[in-house]
Amino acid sequence: MHEDLNQKISQFLDNELSTDETLSLLQKIQQNAELRDKMNRYAAVSHALKTDTFLSPRSDFVERISQEIQHEPVYMLPQHNKFKRSHKISALAASIAIIAVIASQSMDHQTEQYQPSPIEVAQSQLPEQSSDSIVYRDQTRQYPVNTRFNDYLQAHNSSVYTNGEVNFQSFASVTVYNRE
Amino acid sequence: MVKRFFLVLLLSTKTVFAADVELNARQALTKMTNAMRVLNYQGTVAFLRNGKLETMKYFHAAEKGIEQERLLSLNSPLREIIRDADKVSCLFKSTQQAVVDHRPVGHSFLVDVPQDLDELSAVYDFKMAGEEDVAMLPAYVIAIQPKDDFRYVRKIWIEKQQFLPLKVAVYDLSGTVLEQVVFTDLEVKEALPFVEAKFGEATENVKHIHQLQAQASDQAAFVVNNLPSGFEEIFFTRRPIHNSNQPVDHLLLSDGFAAVSVYMENKNTAMQQGLQSVGAVNSFSRTIDDWQLTVMGEVPAKTVKFIAEGIKLRH
Repeated sequence: MHEDLNQKISQFLDNELSTDETLSLLQKIQQNAELRDKMNRYAAVSHALKTDTFLSPRSDFVERISQEIQHEPVYMLPQHNKFKRSHKISALAASIAIIAVIASQSMDHQTEQYQPSPIEVAQSQLPEQSSDSIVYRDQTRQYPVNTRFNDYLQAHNSSVYTNGEVNFQSFASVTVYNRE
Repeated sequence: MVKRFFLVLLLSTKTVFAADVELNARQALTKMTNAMRVLNYQGTVAFLRNGKLETMKYFHAAEKGIEQERLLSLNSPLREIIRDADKVSCLFKSTQQAVVDHRPVGHSFLVDVPQDLDELSAVYDFKMAGEEDVAMLPAYVIAIQPKDDFRYVRKIWIEKQQFLPLKVAVYDLSGTVLEQVVFTDLEVKEALPFVEAKFGEATENVKHIHQLQAQASDQAAFVVNNLPSGFEEIFFTRRPIHNSNQPVDHLLLSDGFAAVSVYMENKNTAMQQGLQSVGAVNSFSRTIDDWQLTVMGEVPAKTVKFIAEGIKLRH
């Protein structure tokens, strides 16, 4: 039985299992901690053989995959079903393999410095914030970046008066009106 | 001997003709500048900027050296814009809000051409680029071609009889049209009334902005080291620009056709860094120590970047 499962895992990693066999195996792996560990080891060995690099996967990567799938957003719009079932299984297997590698890399690098996401990189390009960061954010909320840009445009030349953009109307409404 | 005489005559004629072509382009621009200033004319003008079209009724009144430009928008937001000398008043019809703006630089909403074109010949070539009809009126096409790639190409279509501009177009370095100002109809009048900027019940809603007090540019917090040839300092001011009391240093540079503004203020203001583009206007923003710098102008992106990268803090 164990030999059979070992072979199935090996075949799964090589994408040689049929749809039904893959689903059956994944179900067993989900329910059996020992099998999950074995799957991790086989995935690591397979990866090492293919790339000459050994990456030790995290023991909980299958659970993490499951959790990630559960946290995926639900799309309410109708989806076109373009993929065959076998393709879906292949994609699932490939995703698991990729996540295994990513998970293992994250474990290897968990002690390294935190790497910001692309969005955070973009934000970090804004002026650095010191102790008055809260003031800075409040000012930004009250006075948007685009408005500052429009202020510059307005001061630069009089073309804002002949532009049909709604921005100028917005500009007029945010200025403080005083009696002359 | 006779043959040589005719050869010299022929060559001389060709030389004169070549000079005449250049002279005509400049003459046409000079005549246009004069006509724009002294004639009374009105029409419908379309401004195409940043992919958006704005159509307006245009009036220019002139009497005894005093001019007034008036624009009435045909589409929302409905507004009337009046330029008296360096004062621009804008009244929004629907909200009755008004803005009174002071602009010592810039004399026309159509096109500003400097009086002295000789100074510009170092950086621009002026050429007759043919003849075309605009608004069913025959026009000379004048090409204003920069001699480097720090500025845009411009073309002006000048009506043949009165020498008024019928169309102005700005092109990027690849020849794509960035901005256009086009008359769809234009007529010259004996006289046109001067209209007073009336704000009616909206007197309490009048906002005076940009009352400029030109200062010496050596008071600026920065020094401009990279300046493409032909660009000169026009004025410098330090004043609040945003809806706050925070002062902003503003240096205006121009090569006669293209203007570039340099803004510097405390960096507690949030600005998107790097290049931004709005139609023909490009801007480049970066921080220098505790300062936020933005260079903006109707010039190619490389120009604002070049100027911005050469700016240092004054110590």
